[in-house]
Amino acid sequence: MSKNKNGKASLKNIHRVQILMIIGYALIVIIAVAIVTQLAVSKTDKVLKNKVISLTSSLGVQMKLNLESYISRMETIGTLAFGEENAYTYDATDPNNDEYEALGKEKIITDKLFSLCIMENFVDYGIVYRNNRTVGKISNATTTAFGDKLFDDLSSMIVRPRTNDGWATGYKNDFKHIYYVKRVHDNAVLVISFYTHELDAVFDNPETLGDMEIMLVNQDYNILYSKNGGEVGDGLDDRIKSRIKGQTSATVMDNDQLVSVNKCGDWYVVCAISTDSILSEKNEMKRFIYLTGLAAALIAAVVGLYLSYLLTSPVKKIVSTLDDKARIDLLTGVFNKLTYEEYADNIISGSLGSEHRALIMIDIDDFKNVNDSYGHAMGDRVLENMGAILKGVFTDDDYIGRIGGDEFSVLINSRPEEGEEFKDYVERKCKEVCSQIESGLSGGFGIETSASVGAALFPADGRTFTELYRLCDKALYRAKRSGKNTYRLYDESMKNEEGSK
Amino acid sequence: MIKRIAAALTAAAMLLLTACTDKALVQEQGEQIEITLSWWGNDKRNEYTLEAVKLFEQKHPEIKVKCSYSEWSGYEARSKVQMMSGTEADVMQINVGWLSQYSADGKGYYDIDKLGEYVDLSNFDSEILEYGRRSGVLNAIPIAMNAETVYVNKTVYEKYGLSIPETWDELFEAAGVMSKDGVYPVSGANKSIWLFCIAYAEQKNGKHFFNENSEITFGKEDLKMMIELYTRFVNEGVMPKIEDYQRYNIDNGTYASTVAWVSDAVNYNGAAMEAGFDVIPAAYPTDGTCESGTGWYAKPATLYAISKNTQHPKEAAMLLDFMLNSPEWAELQGVEKGIPLSEAVREHLKDIGQLEGIQYDASLVMEENEYISPMNSLIENTDLFDAFFDCCNQVIFEKTTADDAAQQLYDKLKEGYTVVG
Repeated sequence: MSKNKNGKASLKNIHRVQILMIIGYALIVIIAVAIVTQLAVSKTDKVLKNKVISLTSSLGVQMKLNLESYISRMETIGTLAFGEENAYTYDATDPNNDEYEALGKEKIITDKLFSLCIMENFVDYGIVYRNNRTVGKISNATTTAFGDKLFDDLSSMIVRPRTNDGWATGYKNDFKHIYYVKRVHDNAVLVISFYTHELDAVFDNPETLGDMEIMLVNQDYNILYSKNGGEVGDGLDDRIKSRIKGQTSATVMDNDQLVSVNKCGDWYVVCAISTDSILSEKNEMKRFIYLTGLAAALIAAVVGLYLSYLLTSPVKKIVSTLDDKARIDLLTGVFNKLTYEEYADNIISGSLGSEHRALIMIDIDDFKNVNDSYGHAMGDRVLENMGAILKGVFTDDDYIGRIGGDEFSVLINSRPEEGEEFKDYVERKCKEVCSQIESGLSGGFGIETSASVGAALFPADGRTFTELYRLCDKALYRAKRSGKNTYRLYDESMKNEEGSK
Repeated sequence: MIKRIAAALTAAAMLLLTACTDKALVQEQGEQIEITLSWWGNDKRNEYTLEAVKLFEQKHPEIKVKCSYSEWSGYEARSKVQMMSGTEADVMQINVGWLSQYSADGKGYYDIDKLGEYVDLSNFDSEILEYGRRSGVLNAIPIAMNAETVYVNKTVYEKYGLSIPETWDELFEAAGVMSKDGVYPVSGANKSIWLFCIAYAEQKNGKHFFNENSEITFGKEDLKMMIELYTRFVNEGVMPKIEDYQRYNIDNGTYASTVAWVSDAVNYNGAAMEAGFDVIPAAYPTDGTCESGTGWYAKPATLYAISKNTQHPKEAAMLLDFMLNSPEWAELQGVEKGIPLSEAVREHLKDIGQLEGIQYDASLVMEENEYISPMNSLIENTDLFDAFFDCCNQVIFEKTTADDAAQQLYDKLKEGYTVVG
């Protein structure tokens, strides 16, 4: 009985180890995946931010270069006006001018200016004299806006002493026009103006950065131009301004804003976008990494379970085989004594009084003679046949055990029959055992064999295995004494009968 | 067993390798079809056109419209350069004269009839479309009709106790009253004054400057009459020299009237009206013997054409249709270019109460006049009036006589035109 318990305990141990292995493996995998995932998220975050800052910085610089290029082109067109001598020698304010000659010179200057700006979307391209006379193309909108201050106010836009020129917008709060003014001589300035709208092409950014606000601001951080139609003329939003104030070329990123600033002449090109917007993909990426980690953990767990199964399955099989070997009598194929007694004891002790069971004991008559006359090999064969006969006579529900060299016992398990019917059933089985042993135990070798059978009923005769065993033994003894090759069911008459044991 | 494990591990490794295989990342930028649009005009036109183009782009995000614009004088030169160099815009505002200049055989612009799928032409009378046909090919669609008109600042005239001038003589009489204050009874830019002088001459000599064969019918005496008229205008203070013409003087009442196109009514007079002056489109002046309108010309205000070289005719046609027939464009444009010829647009403007104001009144003066003639587009050629004013200036500044100047002009005209006068 202890051997069997050991086998079960071993299997339980193996099972426990298997569970521990799986839990341990799962923990290791989860921790490893969590660490790797966290590292990946952290690294990705850092790399992404650096890349975004770098790209935004490049975009800011590109916008600045675009503006510089555009401004430079405008200034070049302005400078080319000096290719016409009359442009800088003629003075419309000179009282000594011959009016007819003056008209001729003005026409020459106008033609020159027209030929220079022919392909440009200029609002104004002309020369304004101190007496507000204009030559070239000065629009009605400009003359109306400036009125009699045309020359003076345009002159005041000249702020660069080296080149005697300057850029301005926001004249009388009009941010639709941008002016470039260059001094021609003391009494004349050249003016080029165009719609601020023209800067749309200068600040054209990729559609993927469509949310990026691109602005041109002056030194006081007032907005001169806004790509996305923001309020021009107003001060730059404090959230943006505070991040770039004092900087001439920088890109700043924090949890709220990504802002880039680049100085271009007296103005600044400012690119700004909310961090949430530019890094909107970050959360998606995080989710992706976490999901990948989870998937990796699941795959690892499944693989681990499979490997664990592969590892423990043969061990379980071996243990199970060993267990079987310990429980079964190898010669007869029925339970050995220990196992049988343990099972029978367990079943009977767990039985209710309403259940009907029977313990049967079978002893081969004169088995010693078989061994002595025909040898042990034949004896073994007879025993083998004995196992087969008993398995044939009784059902799979019944327990059959070899309890001695030539002694067997059967526990007839719970039956539907009750009272006399059950008793009849047991008798029929005992009779059948006797009959089959007599006719077929030797297996056709012509050896005369028989067996004596004793039986006791549960609960009529006894309620414990030990008691039933003892009563059974008495019945068997009575059968032996009655001439063998017969069976006896225990009754009160056998109370004082001696048992075989 | 080992084989099975090995197979499983190999499969897993293959799966991982497949997943990690370097694959080229492709990010496609939304590709827009870029078409170009060009027009001439003032600030107001530029602003609403840019706004309307944005509406079109919002409606058709697959199309980007690149705009090119300028005032008339610059635009005319730019357009010539572009037409000659094959770099003209896909959709362009053109002057009626350019049809004969660039598309004598009808092949100079795209045949819009072929784009009927995208441009709804049913809004236009066939007679109207005839203005845009050359050799039967629909080269352009007229937007509105146009004529030089005299816009009179009634307030200023009334200030001097004068009624609205109806004859040339009344203009001279007005100068006698106004010029002491530096006020001019009439004013205009070069082309307007050129046509103003032609109207006078045609009333006097009873013939059109160009005949049906596009030959100049004016002889030396006719030209002399025009030179003398302009010289008198300048010398007697009826109008400033065209070189001295400053539009802001309309705003402040220094010019008591101005000659300008119907399509420029608001553009030229809007500021003066805002300043409180009462400005009205007056009847066309006469010599007192002819009916008002004699010697004056009407033409399609402007036309829209599509480049014969366009690589995107469909998109160009979609833009053209939006400009001609859409309520969005019509509302922004209003009657800025004159009363639109598109029936749908005219109805829409009527519904929303935009068919009113000085521009509409000027249109009615033109449309209701029976004596105004269809314009031969050659009459607007810059070389004609440049030569005319050169000769006039020589007389004004006493460099030569009116007779010699007329001869000089006559000779100049003969260089570029068939002159039968």
